[in-house]
Amino acid sequence: MTRVGFLFALAYRSSIVMTCVTLVAQVFLLRMIWTAVYGSRAEAAGLTLEALLAYLTLANLQSFATQTLVSRVIHHRIRSGTVFFDLARPIGYLRQMAAFQAGNTAGSLLLLAPVVPVVLLVGSITAPVNGPGYVVTLVLGYVIAVQLALLISLLGFWMLEIGAVSLLYQLVSQFFAGTMVPLAFFPGFLGTLAEVLPFKYMGYVPAAIYVGHISDISGPLLVELAWVAGLWALLALAWSRTHRRVVIQGG
Amino acid sequence: MIRVDGLTKVFRRPRTFSGPFGALRTLVTRQYEEKTAVDDVSFDIGEGEVIGYLGPNGAGKSTTIKILTGILTPTAGTVRVNGLVPWRDRSANARRVGVVFGQRSQLWWDLPLIESLRLVGSLYDMPAARFEASLKKLRDLLGLDEFLDTPVRQLSLGQRMRGDLAAAVLYEPPLLYLDEPTVGLDVLAKEAVREFIVETNRTGRTTVILTTHDLADVEALCKRIILIDHGKVLFDGPIDALVDQPRRLVVLLESAPEEVRGVSRDDQGRHVFDIHGDLPAMIASISAEHTIRDLSIEEPDLESVIKGIYAR
Repeated sequence: MTRVGFLFALAYRSSIVMTCVTLVAQVFLLRMIWTAVYGSRAEAAGLTLEALLAYLTLANLQSFATQTLVSRVIHHRIRSGTVFFDLARPIGYLRQMAAFQAGNTAGSLLLLAPVVPVVLLVGSITAPVNGPGYVVTLVLGYVIAVQLALLISLLGFWMLEIGAVSLLYQLVSQFFAGTMVPLAFFPGFLGTLAEVLPFKYMGYVPAAIYVGHISDISGPLLVELAWVAGLWALLALAWSRTHRRVVIQGG
Repeated sequence: MIRVDGLTKVFRRPRTFSGPFGALRTLVTRQYEEKTAVDDVSFDIGEGEVIGYLGPNGAGKSTTIKILTGILTPTAGTVRVNGLVPWRDRSANARRVGVVFGQRSQLWWDLPLIESLRLVGSLYDMPAARFEASLKKLRDLLGLDEFLDTPVRQLSLGQRMRGDLAAAVLYEPPLLYLDEPTVGLDVLAKEAVREFIVETNRTGRTTVILTTHDLADVEALCKRIILIDHGKVLFDGPIDALVDQPRRLVVLLESAPEEVRGVSRDDQGRHVFDIHGDLPAMIASISAEHTIRDLSIEEPDLESVIKGIYAR
């Protein structure tokens, strides 16, 4: 299944190439805007312009790398009825879909790789302050992203149309991941909300660790592990309820 | 091999409403409507049999197959497939059955055919050597070589169906469910599919349950059929018994009398006699009394017999 996901990414390379173009454009625009906003100020909310630009470049790269296709594929397979075959396999459904997503991400990263230097050129980057911490928190953040995507996908077994829900989810998750504006700039209530939601682990937290804005990683790491465990349990519960509905109602 | 006893499946769905706020009412309603898709169905199928599982659209065929594959749980009744309860031992059962749905494909649309087959090999834990051996056999049998590396979306329907058959039998399941495997195919492609089914059944002692609307498939492949409609079994037995009826003589008489020899005129103005014994003598004696305008002899065939059963 991993292999299929990987090949799936290559089969749709034109769409991924377009995504890469979007990524370059977005990083470029963010750089223009934030440079203008900073003007002559040396730093804001404890971030220098240099760190901020490095942060934004990274956060956007991450956001594109942790994007998931799995909910769209699941939705399509439910509507076309081919989900029947997935359910008839000896391997668990969620395991198949997670494997698909892992392969798909690997394929996307392969296509993303040549664009990375361009993005870094258009944006800006500094040497990592805490490389290993960055990698660990990012990988866990990716796991959270896949778990959430699977959770959203399960809605497709209950509702006929989840296009709008997915779109909303994508917008909310990108915003609260801090790909446009770092979470340190979020005011009051919004800041608290962003702090509580898990989306920051896909963007803000790893990138902030990279640029040294967060220095003690033990706290975020523990919370991330708790999220992974909690979502794992939630996913198992949601799937058993969904599966019960499928076997009784025929989906 | 398969033992089904008193199988019943009732779907319970929220009542749907029409009208301006229909969708909303449907969403919040506590009223449900029940539909019995399969109603007290029982049958036994032995190893190596090829069964025609027939019925009109919506008769409950696919629901039965979904229960037998373990995807649906029944409302009542017991099922044993190879000694397993399909929905309880879902994973073990899945390894021992292959499924083809002619209307849907298990192949990945955008990838070359070989990749879907590789996926099946890995999902069913096939060791590389066994996978290669099985694939080689299927490549010869189904002539896959010419399109093995072509994306599935570019295949013709006949090629795609051959690919689906290959994916269903790759891991050599002892039981095969084929749901309309010849739907939409041209005569030659149908023939290829039938030959493949015969071959698989013969060499692997594979049990086949075949659902189809093409009775030529049934005549070519099945010795026994199970006929269902409205979820109930209407007939279960050898085809021979079903079509073992006398030939019939159909005559159109000039005078079109109400009744001739105890046979009354049908709605097309014809008289239909069962043929017993001497046919020329029968015709001679009718023409002695009436002027025959037209005459034909009907062989009993599966289609008309089945139509007759549905109409009851």
